[in-house]
Amino acid sequence: MKTRHDLISIWRRLIDMTGRRRRAREVDDELAFHLAMRVEERKRTGLTDEQAALAARRQFGNVTALGEQTREMWRFPTMDSLIQDIRYAVRTLVRSPGFSVVTILVLAIGIGANTAMFSLVDAMLLRGLPYPDANSLVVLIGNVQRAVVERRGNSYLDHLDWRARSTRFVDMAAYSTTTMTLMGFDEPERIPIETVSAPYFAVLGVSPAYGRTFKPEEDQVPNRDMVVILSDALWRRRFDADPSILNHTIQSSARTYTVVGIMPPGFTGVSDTAQLWIPFALSGTAFDNRGNRGFQTIARLKPDAKIDQARAELDVISKQLERQYPDTNEKRAVEVSPLSVETYGQLKPVVLTLMAAVSFVLLIACSNVANLLLGRSEARQREIAVRSALGAGQSRLFRQLVTESCVLTLAGAAAGVAFAQVAVKTLTAASPVTFPSFVQPGINVVVLAFTIAVALVCGLLLGLAPAMHTRSEKLGDALKETARGSTSARSNRVRAALVIAEVALAIVLLVGAGLMIRSVQKLTAVDTGFNPQALLTLDVSVPRQPAPTTGSSPAGGATVAPAGGQAAPAPPPPPFVVSSAVILERVRAVPGVTSASLASDVPLDGNTSAVFYSAEGDSTSGAQTMPRAYVHRVTPEFFDTLGIPMKAGRTFNESEARPDGTAVIVSENVARRFWLNQDPIGKRLKFGAVTSQNPWLTIVGVVGEVKYRGLPSNPTGDPDLYFPALDRAVQGLLIRTSVDPASVTSAVRAAIRAAHPSIVVFNVSTMADLVKAQTSASTFTTWLLGLFATTALVLSVIGIYGVMSYLVAQRTREFGIRLALGATRREIVAVVLRHGGRLILIGAVIGIAGSLGLSKVLGGLLYGVTPADSASALAILILVTVAILACLVPAFRATRVDPVDVLR
Amino acid sequence: MGEAPPTGELMPGTLDMLILKTLTRGELHGYGIAQTIQRASDEVLRVEEGALYPALHRLEVRGWLRSSWGTSENNRRAKYYRLTALGRRELEREAAYWHRVASAVTRVMQTA
Repeated sequence: MKTRHDLISIWRRLIDMTGRRRRAREVDDELAFHLAMRVEERKRTGLTDEQAALAARRQFGNVTALGEQTREMWRFPTMDSLIQDIRYAVRTLVRSPGFSVVTILVLAIGIGANTAMFSLVDAMLLRGLPYPDANSLVVLIGNVQRAVVERRGNSYLDHLDWRARSTRFVDMAAYSTTTMTLMGFDEPERIPIETVSAPYFAVLGVSPAYGRTFKPEEDQVPNRDMVVILSDALWRRRFDADPSILNHTIQSSARTYTVVGIMPPGFTGVSDTAQLWIPFALSGTAFDNRGNRGFQTIARLKPDAKIDQARAELDVISKQLERQYPDTNEKRAVEVSPLSVETYGQLKPVVLTLMAAVSFVLLIACSNVANLLLGRSEARQREIAVRSALGAGQSRLFRQLVTESCVLTLAGAAAGVAFAQVAVKTLTAASPVTFPSFVQPGINVVVLAFTIAVALVCGLLLGLAPAMHTRSEKLGDALKETARGSTSARSNRVRAALVIAEVALAIVLLVGAGLMIRSVQKLTAVDTGFNPQALLTLDVSVPRQPAPTTGSSPAGGATVAPAGGQAAPAPPPPPFVVSSAVILERVRAVPGVTSASLASDVPLDGNTSAVFYSAEGDSTSGAQTMPRAYVHRVTPEFFDTLGIPMKAGRTFNESEARPDGTAVIVSENVARRFWLNQDPIGKRLKFGAVTSQNPWLTIVGVVGEVKYRGLPSNPTGDPDLYFPALDRAVQGLLIRTSVDPASVTSAVRAAIRAAHPSIVVFNVSTMADLVKAQTSASTFTTWLLGLFATTALVLSVIGIYGVMSYLVAQRTREFGIRLALGATRREIVAVVLRHGGRLILIGAVIGIAGSLGLSKVLGGLLYGVTPADSASALAILILVTVAILACLVPAFRATRVDPVDVLR
Repeated sequence: MGEAPPTGELMPGTLDMLILKTLTRGELHGYGIAQTIQRASDEVLRVEEGALYPALHRLEVRGWLRSSWGTSENNRRAKYYRLTALGRRELEREAAYWHRVASAVTRVMQTA
């Protein structure tokens, strides 16, 4: 009953808040009526108008005050006193502007940094992927059990069987990324695309803005429908956002496609780079070979299906397939990984670690502010005592203190949000990590709510420190001005705790930053096996000469041609418009270029593929340990251009560059595995099993191991096999320069265009940048953690200095007496240092324990370091030294106490 | 003249009950409520305006009264209050409590 009345009251008051003016007028009218009735009453007793009005008014009292009192009934009592508290707090803070500005600044740094990091957490982890019900999206990736489980990819036949036999999925779709050369414009353009099977868009839950997605019959192999769906970006950039492009054709270097759909803005596929989509049946995957694996499958779980159920079901299906097709599916299984994990995998722990680190910075900032507030509340003992003597209750005083600290933290939060806005922009612009395109951190309602919540929690905690201290005070003592020393024991304990906390938190951050710096140092010092300096890399796409049956030339043709003309399939591919040798010749002639080579793939570009092979005379390898290697086709100067050492034998000669050539150059580990202590030159390998019909390949050279696929360690330890380069549609070009490699880019482009205008140049990068990109997540973490740790160090040292100065000042009298009784200055310093040192030591021990936890969280980001690294020791040493220095200054001040002054 | 007649001081908490009771006979404006209480108590109880209006609004906020604007006997715009169901129940509660306390006080006064 009671609560029901309360609810009614709150409700009515809330309603009333919207009509305060009207309420005030009504109360006035109501009272005026009453007054008028009283006047009439008096007149009836024979008074004149004037006398009656006067008498009635006298009886009535203060009409304004009564109106005020009546209206008061409609207000929230706490709300009004809150406003009063806030006004009082603001007045107090304005009265000491120095204190207020410093505290607000310190809080702004702490809260601002938290807001900035949280906006990243919000953009990545809270808002999630830009698909409806994205949590039920998973990626299926074929794997194989070798020494460890290794990810491989899916074969088309496996994919079809998974789709047909599983029951836990709404649907699944095959997809892979590739590139396409778009023709029909001034200059042919190489664009990233996805080949996708028909259910792809429905699985993701994305509908086209115009037209349709792919039909099931367009998944048929071989595909006869050359259809394409455009991304919004490509449609705007190349086709002037004209919807009539639908049902017209566009031209790639190989085929003519009919546009059937246009996707909505922002959609760039699972790869986050696709500019258009073509049916998976056109992908060139080996559709009839279960052992040929490469692409991935995107799938949507049924609403009631758990990911573990899907895993269990696919395990069963994998076992069935293994029994049915032992040749291709032995030890093969499927990994089911949430799409969000695949998208954010490496970034999620980074962002969460940084979020934790930045909250430590805030805690240190709060410790400093708490210390300042404590000092102030001591100075305000008299004021507080007077207020409570005048009848302010304990809870009312507490509320006042908390209101005051909340005003401070909210002001800090306001400044912090402004700071965060700049920080987030700088962060994402300068970040070495590339975030997915849909991750757009910014200050929105969720982030603001977070910031305000953080500010209020901090305000409450900060208010607690002086409030706790106030409670312990005896009112009478505080009113007597001299009462001091004895009352501060409790607040001194709070101060000691603050020093310990600051030291502990700062040590965790410093150790974390130290370990990250050390591991980035080690990462960048990793021997790549080649010289990445002064090396420019790019890909060239060389079109074939137009087949004689095709009428229109790619350069002259109209952009948009009506559908109907089908591209005729040409069984023997026509020759390329220009040979690789000509391109190389042109590039080598560019000033500043000292060497140039072609390769089927460039180190660290992620385009390698692997094969199984056998070595002649090898009896140690079984089915699970069958040797596997990555295959590259390179021109003879390749090893020289990259600076890969030739360990034995020679490089290729021109005559070996034939499709049926049998010369192979192997990396060192091949020779070590099969011909340790023997001369590997002249030994033979073959693709597949020894018993296969493949021709034997003869080793002509041995080169050093290269980190071809990733730093710090190639994801798998498989070695590399090199074959002579043959002309092909897309090749990597590696250019060694005597000048800054980026400076020759335009000259190289011009040289290639001069070789033939229809050659497309893309993926231009310096090798140094590709190496850097490999360590970007670690570098990013190091940057920020270093920044946070430095901030923490500075803040905690200021805090320790403040506390120690205060404690020394408190003991001035004691030190004076000690000095008078014959204590040496050295002994006084020792007293102060012992006190400070003990606190620092306790903090350090807690901090070291905490940093062990942090290094566990950092785990995957750390390379080649353990928490016991010398970097940790250095970090601890730095902090402890600086902290002791912060104690020394007040310690020496203590020795300058003049006993005469103190004792007088 | 002009001097206010001696007023019976209301016991704290009884004003709310008196207002609720007065309104059981129908809707009334503030002045009417004050007059009714005064007359019904044979001029013993005088309701101060300073207490009446805050009390009326407090009761309205609690949902025990409803108010609406109407025209008074002498053709003035006046705010009329009437009892709600919740108010009626509250009155019963308070009246029961009052009777218990009043009879207890009376008994004490008689025996002492």
